Amino acid sequence: MKSDQIKPNKPKIAFFDFTSCEGCQLNKLNLENELPDILRHVELVEFREAMDDKADYYDIAFIEGSLSTPSCINRIHDIRRRSNILVALGACATIGGINSMKNLQPIETVRETVYGEEKYRFPTLPAIPVSAVVKVDYEIRGCPMSIPEFLRVLKALLMGKAPNLPDSAVCVECKLRENECLYDRGIVCLGPVTVGGCEAICPSFGQFCTGCRGLVPNPNKDAMLDILTQHGLSLEDAQKRFLLFNSYNIESKSIT
Amino acid sequence: MEKFNLSTSRLNALIKHLMTRGIVYAPHKNGEVSFSFDEVRDPGKVILNYNRTLQSIKKYFLPPREQLLSFSLKSGSLSKVEPENPLRIFLGVHSYDMQAVLRLDYNFSQGNPELNYLKRRQNSLFIGVSFEPDTYHFSRSVGIMVEEFDGFDLFLDKHSSGYTLYVVTQAGEELLSGFDHLEEAPDRPATHREFRNKIKYNFNRLSEVFDHAWDSSVWEEIAQRCVGCGTCNLVCPTCYCFDVEDDVNLSLADGSRYRSWDGCMLNSFAKVAGGENFRADLSDRQRHRVYRKFKYITDVTGEPWCVGCGRCTAYCTAGISIVETVNRLCEEYEQTVLRKPLAKQDWVL
Amino acid sequence: MSNHIRTGIEEPDRKMLELYYPEIAEITRTKQITELEKWFEIALPGNRDLNHQPGQFVQVSLFGFGEAPISVTSSPTKRGVFELCVRKVGTLTTAMHKLKPGDRIGIRGPFGHGFDLQKMEGKDILIIGGGIGIVPLRSLINTVIDRRSDFGRFIILYGAKTPGELLFKDELKSWREDPTIEYHVTVDQGTPDWDGNVGVITTLIPRLDLNLGNTIAAVVGPPIMYKFVLMALKSKRLPDENIYLSLERRMKCGVGKCGHCQINHSYVCQDGPVYHYPVIKQLPEAIQ
Ligand SMILES: Cc1cc2nc3c(=O)[nH]c(=O)nc-3n(C[C@H](O)[C@H](O)[C@H](O)COP(=O)(O)OP(=O)(O)OC[C@H]3O[C@@H](n4cnc5c(N)ncnc54)[C@H](O)[C@@H]3O)c2cc1C
Ligand code: SF4
Ligand code: SF4
Ligand code: SF4
Ligand code: SF4
Ligand code: SF4
Ligand code: FES
Repeated sequence: MKSDQIKPNKPKIAFFDFTSCEGCQLNKLNLENELPDILRHVELVEFREAMDDKADYYDIAFIEGSLSTPSCINRIHDIRRRSNILVALGACATIGGINSMKNLQPIETVRETVYGEEKYRFPTLPAIPVSAVVKVDYEIRGCPMSIPEFLRVLKALLMGKAPNLPDSAVCVECKLRENECLYDRGIVCLGPVTVGGCEAICPSFGQFCTGCRGLVPNPNKDAMLDILTQHGLSLEDAQKRFLLFNSYNIESKSIT
Repeated sequence: MEKFNLSTSRLNALIKHLMTRGIVYAPHKNGEVSFSFDEVRDPGKVILNYNRTLQSIKKYFLPPREQLLSFSLKSGSLSKVEPENPLRIFLGVHSYDMQAVLRLDYNFSQGNPELNYLKRRQNSLFIGVSFEPDTYHFSRSVGIMVEEFDGFDLFLDKHSSGYTLYVVTQAGEELLSGFDHLEEAPDRPATHREFRNKIKYNFNRLSEVFDHAWDSSVWEEIAQRCVGCGTCNLVCPTCYCFDVEDDVNLSLADGSRYRSWDGCMLNSFAKVAGGENFRADLSDRQRHRVYRKFKYITDVTGEPWCVGCGRCTAYCTAGISIVETVNRLCEEYEQTVLRKPLAKQDWVL
Repeated sequence: MSNHIRTGIEEPDRKMLELYYPEIAEITRTKQITELEKWFEIALPGNRDLNHQPGQFVQVSLFGFGEAPISVTSSPTKRGVFELCVRKVGTLTTAMHKLKPGDRIGIRGPFGHGFDLQKMEGKDILIIGGGIGIVPLRSLINTVIDRRSDFGRFIILYGAKTPGELLFKDELKSWREDPTIEYHVTVDQGTPDWDGNVGVITTLIPRLDLNLGNTIAAVVGPPIMYKFVLMALKSKRLPDENIYLSLERRMKCGVGKCGHCQINHSYVCQDGPVYHYPVIKQLPEAIQ
């Protein structure tokens, strides 16, 4: 267990950004102003690329975004080497996320659509989660990642313990908040097979869960597809729902 | 038993009166087609004509998340947390939910009685209301009539032109004191409600069915359709399993120990640190849940622990029906144990 | 105001009902006995006795890290302090490994049912411990040693994966040297300097010469061990009524409320962890 190796005084933490869709809102989360309490306990050595000189050691490195170019791969290896604990932040980094939708098309098509004639100047790989390339110690899921969960993980790591993250469905949190189930409004939702931890934020605001936190362990996918189709989606649409965030998980387990 | 006429127009006056006596909780609209118990602030918003609330009133005695104690990390000391117990009046409770509370009373007072639950439970008064059974209700099949008074202090029986208000206990009578102009109700024939038995066997025979249901193929069949979301546990008024977890504040100096609702349908419920999961298969978890409702506690108390509210079925996105499950088991029992041909279907699904 | 609680608890006895408040105890001594296992000696306020039975457990709290069920490994014959032995596997157990004498922990309990000493008196005792299962059994073993004349023959079978994982090595040596104890140890995988038995614990059973009617077996080990040990005991024709075993389940409350530890209708934290084998045979979920 790595978490107990953190040195008690002022661990060095850093944030790194890879291919992500407007980030996990760490920009918006004004760390300096909102979290003075927690920041007293850490030394922020790198925030995005803001600070130029590389530190040679991080106690905790937070990684945002999925990996999609060969240079990403080199960079993530480099960061891993210099980090004691590596935490993947957000759907892109943890499950490939929306970026991995492109895995469903042949890679050449993607490059053509994105780069047109110039495609040969931009090598691209399928979008893959960080864990497909280096060892990830902990994952903070969600698109955007959930701030309460980020704090939960940070607190746990600073206390020298492994974060205890839920592995039950979003429905559990919906029930604890006594939300009306969207299915009762005729809206289909991926909550029953999606890992909770976001406090069912979308259903709480009347939005269906798109599955941004990835699938629960041992998901019963066939049963979920049945639920979606029985509630009016065509099989094709049901599969699309599933794949929005879970393409990497479902379609391309073999890519590493 | 004393009974009074209460016209629909005087209902608000009664609620206002109750609000002078204690905190009143009653069903309100929640979302588009659902209801939930909430504290009454505006009597006009109370809805007594509802099918079921998303959660039962269990949430007031066993809150979804509850602080058990708080602690200081530095000194390693703990502070106790006193559960609050103001006088609370629950208005518009259906008989099956009342019965569910009585069952929880048993769970929290037998063996090692628990302060947190019992303290919260102590100062509560209950006013029942009759309901029109819908497709999901089957409380009658587990021995609970719509007009079951047990547990209530007062009971409102709806009829075509208003309510008959029954005074069930002395506490109920005291609750009414100061509420004027109550006129004695005439004896009237009981309101006829269409509420057929939905479970094939009388509930006191189910224990015997479950003696033979352990190896049934039904468990595997439901498991194929189930996604293990835990909804059926988390909406059940007689489920009381919980998880316990410590949370520290951002200062990392102090924190609290919390308990929150948990459910045996969830993947990690029976998992231990070595990685062994004692109920890894959904079929095992389904079986455990249903045995908990119809066999394990029932063999000790004589009462089914399912009160027939229909929530687990109404809110299961996969459409898994507990009535159907039990009926399938009854049929199997009949065919394999009693070796009788299937009887005429005098029950409905 | 009336209250409807059917079971008739009018004014709850507070002390009894405050189930979840641990008592703050002090660690008096510790010893790292293997890489993974650490031993603790613990004193309750005023050096009060824990008053446990061998096989019972306590809920150990470390604020901020949670709670976990841990068997008491010392015997009730040891007064004033008690002992635990903790394997580092997760959040709480890892944090416990960092504790030193003088540190404070929360204790609730003792909980559950331990070994039925009365039924064991006058009988031959056969201990079968696999891996960390020796931890609760050590409480029973030391009770028998301290009250040696109350019991008949005393046979101890102990198995671990490797010689390095054997716990309480000093005591193992004294058991081996004690002429009143028939002590047999085995490891799944030997090392060059290991000159004892190699093989799983069940290989020790066939060679035993038991007085079947008068022998009580106490079995504790990892889940997969039970099936094979029971088969071996069966082929020895040891009656089922003479077998006790201790089961492990996930536990949160320790007091029969949270539901996590259930095996069919039985709550391991109340009816167990030590069960009479005929009872276990009625619980299809017990041994898979
Ligand atoms: C009756 C009994 C006696 C035990 N005696 C000992 C002992 O003497 N020494 C020892 O080292 N271990 C013992 N264990 C196992 C010990 O309780 C677990 O290793 C411990 O709970 C793991 O907690 P953790 O926080 O370190 O692990 P985590 O994996 O972080 O645990 C997470 C949560 O899961 C639960 N959990 C995980 N594993 C278990 C488990 N095996 N049993 C119960 N709950 C679990 C805990 O409630 C914990 O809060 C015993 C277990 C039981 C049931
Ligand atoms: S709205 Fe979605 S997440 Fe919430 S209970 Fe319904 S299916 Fe589950
Ligand atoms: S409800 Fe679903 S989509 Fe929304 S944040 Fe949670 S997991 Fe993501
Ligand atoms: S609510 Fe339905 S799908 Fe969810 S766990 Fe229960 S039976 Fe399975
Ligand atoms: S098992 Fe289902 S029907 Fe029965 S009480 Fe629970 S939620 Fe209601
Ligand atoms: S064991 Fe399952 S069915 Fe029983 S109370 Fe707990 S969650 Fe509900
Ligand atoms: S540990 Fe909670 S019921 Fe047994």
